[in-house]
Amino acid sequence: MTLSNEELAILKPDHIVDGIGEVCPHTLNIALKALKKAKTGEIVMEETDHSIATKTIPAAVKMNKIAEVLGVLSQSGEYKIFLKKL
Amino acid sequence: MGFILDMFILAGIFGFLYGFLLQKADFCFTASIRDWISVRDSRIGKGVLVLIATAMIGWGLVLTLGLQTVGEVWTVPIGFSNLIGGVIFGIGMTIAGSCASGALYRAGMGYIQFWIVIASMMVGNILFALVYDPWVEGYFFEPLLLTEQGFSLYQLNLPFLLIPILVVGLMLLIAVRQFGWKELGQGVKESFKDFRGNPLTKSHWDIRMVAVLIGIIATIQFVVISSISITGPETRIASVLLSFVFGDDFIYQNAYLNSMFADFPSIGLGPEETLIIFMIFGAFVSALLSKSFKIRKPKLVRLPYAIGGGLLMGIASRMAPGCNIANVIPGIGGLSISSFIVIIGMALGVFIATAYVFKMPLLLFHKMDLDG
Repeated sequence: MTLSNEELAILKPDHIVDGIGEVCPHTLNIALKALKKAKTGEIVMEETDHSIATKTIPAAVKMNKIAEVLGVLSQSGEYKIFLKKL
Repeated sequence: MGFILDMFILAGIFGFLYGFLLQKADFCFTASIRDWISVRDSRIGKGVLVLIATAMIGWGLVLTLGLQTVGEVWTVPIGFSNLIGGVIFGIGMTIAGSCASGALYRAGMGYIQFWIVIASMMVGNILFALVYDPWVEGYFFEPLLLTEQGFSLYQLNLPFLLIPILVVGLMLLIAVRQFGWKELGQGVKESFKDFRGNPLTKSHWDIRMVAVLIGIIATIQFVVISSISITGPETRIASVLLSFVFGDDFIYQNAYLNSMFADFPSIGLGPEETLIIFMIFGAFVSALLSKSFKIRKPKLVRLPYAIGGGLLMGIASRMAPGCNIANVIPGIGGLSISSFIVIIGMALGVFIATAYVFKMPLLLFHKMDLDG
């Protein structure tokens, strides 16, 4: 289920991960750490300015059935990646 | 010997195109191996395979058509130094968070971290040069060397396109067996999807399409200028900067740096160095067009990674020699044995850093404990 930008903008995440200033592999590691802590159905949102993380994090959680990717909000080189733990 | 202006203009165009394309696909060679072994994400790995396939066919075609000779194919003496250099480069690029080309396109996107990585790589280049004669030459290269000359499989008395066609055919066969013709066709169709509308303003282009384009451009560059390389030119840029402080004689008196400028009329920047600078510019323009440019400040705690990883890459790129780009495109494209060894080393290095430095999950080999 991919949400629209408007839906994502009003979504209240259960866990917020600060990935601003981080690069790979830290961007992925902190997302995985937060998903490990989260309970099933909870929403984890990572804020990052590392562009490739918008591809690597969704691919990693999808491939390993760790979380559902709700969507990515992009604005001027900053991104919010929304994940729902499975 | 001097350079003519046309060469600088051509090099600038090639550099711009590489930088633009690498940024559009976020083409990260480090991730191609790290993300595959860690989280089974093979997207970028497939891009690297498409790039290798395109370069092999490109180099085979160029030689078949007589546009270049086998003597111009980039290859270096074979030895354990290829493997050791590759391993250290692989560890360095995983710690730094980018390979040699990744650091350049991200520098253009506004990442301060990767400007630090590039500067550290250049310091590593110079550190290597300072201990080269007599220590590295006498105690590293000579004992580890297996052959005096480099060797490319194109030197075998075979039709030039035979090995590329066999290898690419095998790649296709494996792809068809794994995905089937239908999915493969779908993949090809998908790789064009980013070209609908105005592709220049899109933030991402399919990596397989970009890989084909980079492979074609590198093949043209091989015909009209030289084999693409990054860390050799970076060493020369570092030497030029050093010459501002210590003078040209300092560079000429160092055996390693002197050899790097053997074909240069003086200590200065040539076409290949121009290409590197325009790669950063190409990535900058690409990021601006898609509104992805941002001055990205790194977390202070990560600076040791940028400096340490960059230093390792700078030193190792002189040991192997060559970076990911030189060894993957003109190296494997040129069927050079030394580059096959360097690439195996780099993959090992990425594995070591992924598993033991970052202690990441290795989901290619076992399942993740989600409830940890």
